[in-house]
Formats: sequence, structure tokens, C-alpha cells
Amino acid sequence: MADWEIWVVIGVLGVATACTRSAFWLIGHRVTIPPRVQEMLRYAPACALAAVIGPDLVLGAGGELQLGISNPKLLGGLSALAFYLWRRNMLQTIIFGMVVFTLLRVSHVFENTL
Amino acid sequence: MTPAQDIGSEQFEREAWREGVRTGLPTLFGIAAWGMVVGVAMVKSGLTVWQASAMTLVAFAGSAQLASLPLIAAGAPIWVIFATALVVNLRFVIFSALLGPHFAHLPLRQRLFYGYISGDISIALFLQRYSEPTPGPVPGKLSFLKGLLVPNWCSWQTGSLVGIFLGSTIPAEWQLGFAGTLAILCIMVPLIINSAALCGVLVAAVVAVLAHALPYKLGLLAAVLVGMGSAMFFEETFNRRKVRHG
Repeated sequence: MADWEIWVVIGVLGVATACTRSAFWLIGHRVTIPPRVQEMLRYAPACALAAVIGPDLVLGAGGELQLGISNPKLLGGLSALAFYLWRRNMLQTIIFGMVVFTLLRVSHVFENTL
Repeated sequence: MTPAQDIGSEQFEREAWREGVRTGLPTLFGIAAWGMVVGVAMVKSGLTVWQASAMTLVAFAGSAQLASLPLIAAGAPIWVIFATALVVNLRFVIFSALLGPHFAHLPLRQRLFYGYISGDISIALFLQRYSEPTPGPVPGKLSFLKGLLVPNWCSWQTGSLVGIFLGSTIPAEWQLGFAGTLAILCIMVPLIINSAALCGVLVAAVVAVLAHALPYKLGLLAAVLVGMGSAMFFEETFNRRKVRHG
């Protein structure tokens, strides 16, 4: 991506923030969201985040599917998920996940097993 | 607050501001740490220190920033990045619907400004204190909100900038950008509020993986739409069955 495009993206992200955060500050007292739309709004962010990290966890650098235990991102991510469900603490989870991921990556324990 | 203070006086407003600061205090460390993770991830994805700093100052939305990074790296079209950021930010629309009516009396520019800088944790804390919106101005209310928002903004930006400068000194082989993926995981899990949401998340992840090769990163948007549709479908089927069985 060209340099200027990145700057445009930065501006566009700011617009996205302002649009969503300020929407109902500007029109809120005049409009109510129908319940069905509210439900969709509730589900959308989780789906979007899952769609962002899903490929990151299971796809290799060349876009090939890596579902085996030789993939440190997948194992690291799953351990982090388990840790988060247990402790419910974001910072600890990130540190724990990074430690698992780094150990797996550096030690190559599962490199030859699939 | 002592009853001796006049409601609406400067003293009263200052006390409301302090109360807001005290209320938000326990969350500030976590906010800064989260900012730091996003800061590191931005630099590690290839943004320059200036670009990353501008992004955190302008966008001020961690999950949208993180979501945009792989898209920037893959050279996705700008409108796809915009659409993705909007979708990731959709939860703020709900929050703004809850918070906005409290301040409908403010001038347009102020409403735009306070909306723009209000993060989710601050809003949750605010709504614990003031649940029902009132049509007119309430003394102390805006000061309390500012007491939440200003420290929140400062600790987020400080954390981000520390992360950006720290990130640029850490070697790329450490793959610290993975911390961004883990952070998204931690934001995503609490958003899975019921089994319909879980269904949507699983479907979205699978579709995103299967459709990753689509041009312009359109697989991502397709995954969100299909995931959302599945969640709605799941909920409708489930609810109807519940109604039928009493």
C-alpha cells in the first residue's frame, strides 16, 4: 500500500470512529433503533473480530491451511482462549498467550509431528 | 458531596469531575496496557512511527485499528477497510444510543466531540451512575462524564505511544504483532453473549478462512455478513421453539 493510501486509511478510520460513536449523540433523541436492528448490531462486532483473527490463527504465510499442532499461532491462540475463559483478564491472557506462542515457535517441539 | 455546596456551583462541578476520575481510576492501567499492545502491533505490521502515532490519535479505537492492520498489509481497497472499521465499531452505535440522549441539550459540536472520545468502559461506568436520561441539563453530569473520558483518553494515548516507540525497538522475529491477535480474542469473547452469538462467531471464522483468497479481502466482509445472518437465524429458530414449548 502506498504511503498516501495509508494516510487516507488513517483519516477514514477516524471517520468510522466518529460516525459510530457520535451517531446517537446527534440524532438519538429523535430516533429509536428497532429491536431487530439492535440484535444485528449486537452480533456484528463479534463476527467481525472472529473473521479478522480466524485466518490469522490457522493460515500459514502462503495462505495454506495449518490445523496441526505444528502451528504455534493456533496452539498459542487456543491456550490464550482457555486462559481467558479461566481468568477473564486481558493483560494476563496476552502475556500468557505470547509466552506459549514464543516457546512453541522457538523450541520447535511439534515441528516434525503433525 | 456535602449538602452545603451549592448545586451547579463551580465547586460542585469540580467535585463531580473528581468523582468521575475516581470512578474510572481502576480501569486506567488496563486501558494503557491495551493501548500499548495496539501500539506495538501497529508498528510491527509495518506502519512507521509517525503513521502509527497518527492512527492512534485520529482513530482512537483499538479493535478497529487492529482489524485494519492485516488489511493494510494485504493492500485491501480503502473502502473495504472503512467498511470493516465501521462493522467492528458497530457496538459503539449501541453505546451512543444509550449515552447520547443524556446530553441531547448540548450544542452540536460538543455532542460530536464527546461522542467521538467516549470509549466503551467509560460509558459503562457512566451508565452505572446515571441510568435514566433526563431531557434537560443535570448539574454535575457532564463534569462526571469528563472526569471519566479525559483520563481514559490520556492513558490510552500514553500507552499507545509507549507501545509504538517500544515496538520499533523490538526485533521483528519476536512476532509481537501476535499480541494484537490475542487482544482481539480477549475483546471478542465477552461479546459472545449467547449461543446465537457463538454460532455467528464460529461461522464467521470458518467463512473468513475459506474465503481468504477472495480479491480485495472481500472474504472478511462476506464472513461478517454470513456470521451475522447465522446468529440471527439461530436466535429466531431457537426462540420460536422456546415459545412453542411454552
